[in-house]
Amino acid sequence: MSDWENVPASELQEQKIQESDPALESVSENSSRAPINPLDAPVIVLEHVSKEYDGTTENHALTDVSFSVKKGEFVFIVGPSGSGKSTMIRLMMKEISPTEGRIYVAGKDLAKLRKRQVCKYRRSIGIVFQDFRLLQDRNVYENVAFAQQVVGAPKRRIPKEVSKMLNLVGLSGKYKNRPTELSGGEQQRVALARALVNNPMILLADEPTGNLDPQNSWEIMNLLEEINRRGTTVVVVTHNREIVDRMQKRVISVQSGVIVEDKKGGYGHE
Amino acid sequence: MNSFGSFAYCFHQGIKNIRRNKLFSIASVATMTACLFLFGIMYFILINVQYMLLEAETNVGVTVFFDEGIEDEQIANLKQRIEAMEAVRSVVYKSAAQTWEEYKETHLTDELAETFGTDNPLEDSASFSIFFESVEEQTETVAQIAMLPGIRKVNDTEDMVNTLTRLNRILSIGSVIIIGLLLCIATFLISTTVTMGVSIRRKEISIMHLIGATDIFIRAPFLVEGVIIGLLGACIPLSILYALYYKIIELIASKFSSLFSTLNFVNTSEVFQVLAPVSLCIGVGIGFLGSYFTLNKQLRNFRQL
Repeated sequence: MSDWENVPASELQEQKIQESDPALESVSENSSRAPINPLDAPVIVLEHVSKEYDGTTENHALTDVSFSVKKGEFVFIVGPSGSGKSTMIRLMMKEISPTEGRIYVAGKDLAKLRKRQVCKYRRSIGIVFQDFRLLQDRNVYENVAFAQQVVGAPKRRIPKEVSKMLNLVGLSGKYKNRPTELSGGEQQRVALARALVNNPMILLADEPTGNLDPQNSWEIMNLLEEINRRGTTVVVVTHNREIVDRMQKRVISVQSGVIVEDKKGGYGHE
Repeated sequence: MNSFGSFAYCFHQGIKNIRRNKLFSIASVATMTACLFLFGIMYFILINVQYMLLEAETNVGVTVFFDEGIEDEQIANLKQRIEAMEAVRSVVYKSAAQTWEEYKETHLTDELAETFGTDNPLEDSASFSIFFESVEEQTETVAQIAMLPGIRKVNDTEDMVNTLTRLNRILSIGSVIIIGLLLCIATFLISTTVTMGVSIRRKEISIMHLIGATDIFIRAPFLVEGVIIGLLGACIPLSILYALYYKIIELIASKFSSLFSTLNFVNTSEVFQVLAPVSLCIGVGIGFLGSYFTLNKQLRNFRQL
């Protein structure tokens, strides 16, 4: 069994961030969200978050949204197109900032992160998109290794980490293939391997099955469940009712930028 | 953080950018080469003209001609008086006969010279060549010499010095304008090359941002690209200029033979001691700054915080 399988990814990453960046640690200490019990500690907290695009109230993407996600949880965020699901992902990635409210991820107040701390923060989060966002001019191996190169991983460690991830997603036999030679499901697996290769504590998936047929969608969801079992907190944005109903996880339903339901079970609210 | 690994990766990506953007990269290198080649030629001319000015001022003597029918005794007396002047280094007497012989040798064919027989058409052209200790006192001393009895005419180097000074000034202004324009074009082309590179790698950059790449990691390949273009754009003209220095100078000298024919040129190593580092700094500097400012503009779209 590999090291990665023995130690939950979230623990590894949390240790890594705190060791490598005292500035982030101090932000964490100053935060009012210091965890009491590490097992129950929420890794994601949104407090009264609102987001308006272009600064106008007509463009309200989110209105007074509050929820938290515990360490190791698997959460679906569901809702129709334009309901604000993807805005939540972008906020958690600190790609955009909320107009109002606070967001805490792994004990860090995102509003207090300085520009140079944002990149280090993002290394604690893996992300996959509906359109895979793979580099077409690079093969499977290079696409996954890219994430390691970007964070400055030692050269000798990269092949080991990449092959571990390709084994996990079942693509070790296709490491030389270009994305154009792969099916949609396989491309999403590569994207997953890329998102996981830096051992993130949280995995955000924005409509990961949006471009896939039902069979490939199930394979990806099974993979996400497996990743979650190994300790990574997984947040999936989707409007795929069938998958949500079958997986019976916690579901946060969003409509017109407002949370209308937050419960364990199926898709629920229309 | 593995700094060497990151540097190697960024360097490799910079080279890849150049290969992907072949046409624009070649255009940028070519413009930079043209710019620095012209800069080199302008520098050759300027440094040699300045050198010649100095030579002219210090080594080319003032020629003094005597009144008609002046006695040898008077000439000897004048020589003593001039030599006694503080600013004068030496005085060389050239008789009318010597002057005529030199003239025949340089300007007349043997047949034509024979037609003069024993006549000397330059019988009143005996002269002193006067050399000075320093350039500064030359004008004042020349005025004193011109006042001496028995002196008919003083030909000083002022005209030549003035001509060279004017040429120097025109070349300086002209070269500054031309080089300035070419540098603007080179900067624009480097900027376009980097813009193209950013646009080609837009997806890659957005992924880099999302997976936690530092700003410098994203910028580095483009800066490497700009620096390599600048470096090539400096090394190519420097190599050509080094190989062709004397040929270029001789060619220019032949166009201005009246000014340059009797003068020496600055040697290659002396010229390149200054030209090489200056050209490299200009090339690399423009490559780096052109990329840096273009990146600031282009990457702003990726920062939506």
